[in-house]
Amino acid sequence: MLLDFALPEHDRKLIPEGRLSGQMPWVIAIMLFLTLLVAAAGLTLADAARKGGQDLARQVTVQIIESNPAQRAAQRAAVTRVLRNLDSVADVQPVPDAQVRDLLEPWLGTGIIDADVPVPALVDVRLRSVPTAEALTSLQSAVRSVAPNIRVDSHSSWMAPFFELMRALVWLSAVVLLLLLVATSAVVILAVRSTLNTHRETIEIMHMMGGTDLQAARLFQRRVALDALLGGVVGFIVAAVVIVTVGDRFAAVEPGLLSGAHFPYYGWAILALIPLAVMALAMLMARMTVISALKRIL
Amino acid sequence: MNSLCPVMPFVPFVALMQSVVEFDNVGLRYGTGVETLTDLSFTLYPGSFYFLTGASGAGKTSLLKLLYLAHRPSRGAIRMFGHDAITLPRDRLPGFRRRIGVVFQDFRLVAHLSTFDNIALPLRIAGIQEKDLRGPVTEMLAWIGLTERADARPATLSGGEQQRVAIARAVIGRPEMLVADEPTGNVDPEMARRLLQLFAALNKLGTTVVVATHDIHLLQEIEGAQMMRLDKGRLSDPTGSLRHPPRPLVLKN
Ligand SMILES: Nc1ncnc2c1ncn2[C@@H]1O[C@H](COP(=O)(O)OP(=O)(O)OP(=O)(O)O)[C@@H](O)[C@H]1O
Ligand SMILES: [Mg+2]
Repeated sequence: MLLDFALPEHDRKLIPEGRLSGQMPWVIAIMLFLTLLVAAAGLTLADAARKGGQDLARQVTVQIIESNPAQRAAQRAAVTRVLRNLDSVADVQPVPDAQVRDLLEPWLGTGIIDADVPVPALVDVRLRSVPTAEALTSLQSAVRSVAPNIRVDSHSSWMAPFFELMRALVWLSAVVLLLLLVATSAVVILAVRSTLNTHRETIEIMHMMGGTDLQAARLFQRRVALDALLGGVVGFIVAAVVIVTVGDRFAAVEPGLLSGAHFPYYGWAILALIPLAVMALAMLMARMTVISALKRIL
Repeated sequence: MNSLCPVMPFVPFVALMQSVVEFDNVGLRYGTGVETLTDLSFTLYPGSFYFLTGASGAGKTSLLKLLYLAHRPSRGAIRMFGHDAITLPRDRLPGFRRRIGVVFQDFRLVAHLSTFDNIALPLRIAGIQEKDLRGPVTEMLAWIGLTERADARPATLSGGEQQRVAIARAVIGRPEMLVADEPTGNVDPEMARRLLQLFAALNKLGTTVVVATHDIHLLQEIEGAQMMRLDKGRLSDPTGSLRHPPRPLVLKN
């Protein structure tokens, strides 16, 4: 009953079809544009945090500390072999010495490393699933059998603050989203009231001629729904253009911390629901406002 | 009393005839002031024509508001179309209002609707199909001489033209009762007579007509019309025609 737009022609003629409420569609469009942007940012962050978190938690680095370069290379090969045979391991990448030096150079300065400083050998490991503490220990002991002096670092520990920040931002966008929805609802309610005030006389005349409360409610519901729909469509289209454009810029960024960040496909469904919910709210408000106004005049 | 004798033989037949409206000791008070209408008791019969007169402020519009169900009285009993109008549940009022045509003193045309759409309003509210209402509305426009102004908004019509539209709107649905508040206040005597003919024609088809007016001349226009006179909210009954109309139902004690 809330969605009966399709009024018979004679009902539609009771209130003219022209633009009546003026700014309402545009205000709704602006509010929805902002709401949808915040929703999209929140969804993207949430998605990235979830995916990135999973990837990272499965990532482990084995450090082999050995000052003799020849032994270090031999141990790295052995460790790689052992790890490749473990069931829990998805992928093993020994890091070449040159790359390790590149990684350290910014910290230690050029030229120093080669000669005096013993550089650890690194092996990057991606596990099949997020490891438990026991799994890490057993991996450690398996590796110790071929290289006594090693350390196993789980990436999730040092990346944790970054993901905490991401999660905080997701919460923040949820709160902002909620506030925007409240403000949008307030705009809708005010717009419905002012629409009804302009047409109070008409409603009363119809009422005196035997129009029912529901007839009047349906007319205004439809009016307000059309306004909300117009605002919703405009807001959605502009927001969609912005989201797609910004999404492309994100994709063009060198993969790194933000590599997982793109707007998830299910997000479009959620975004589409927001204007629909605002429209339903507008109709409900129109209906309730008309009926309660009429109840007051017998 | 003597007027009863000639009609006695018809009593068994006419006693079946229902009254359209019965007021019994009705009072109306706005807010907490004095009563605007006091001790009103009268009966309106189907097919009768009533003029309601009285000084400005006597309560004519207030009485008509009770008749077209815009107000409930503060006290007393009202029966309408055979139902108790006081206890009638709110959701049944629209059905009753559709049986009553109203010409408001201030017209109350819908500003954003054309002349045509204003006249068609009661039919559309009643759910009559577009193809079925086009004919009657066009005919009505011709009768009130506004065919040329069918698409005009009320604001662009003269006072008299607006009044004619208000009357057309009230009669288009052939109501069982027509209530008109000063319906000829803004038109010339010629048009006033013409509009009154419209009421008379409707009355001949069985509509009970109540016209509130200051215009004493109108009273002579309709043969057999009865007069109700309001004086400071009380119904004075100079001719006794209300309590003893030339209809047998006066037998109601
Ligand atoms: N809504 C209202 N609230 C308070 N008082 C009212 C209201 N409507 C009418 N009155 C008062 O009731 C009295 C009767 O008013 P009403 O409009 O019925 O008179 P009337 O006979 O129609 O007068 P007129 O010939 O000038 O139209 C007046 O004193 C008026 O001030
Ligand atoms: Mg009056």
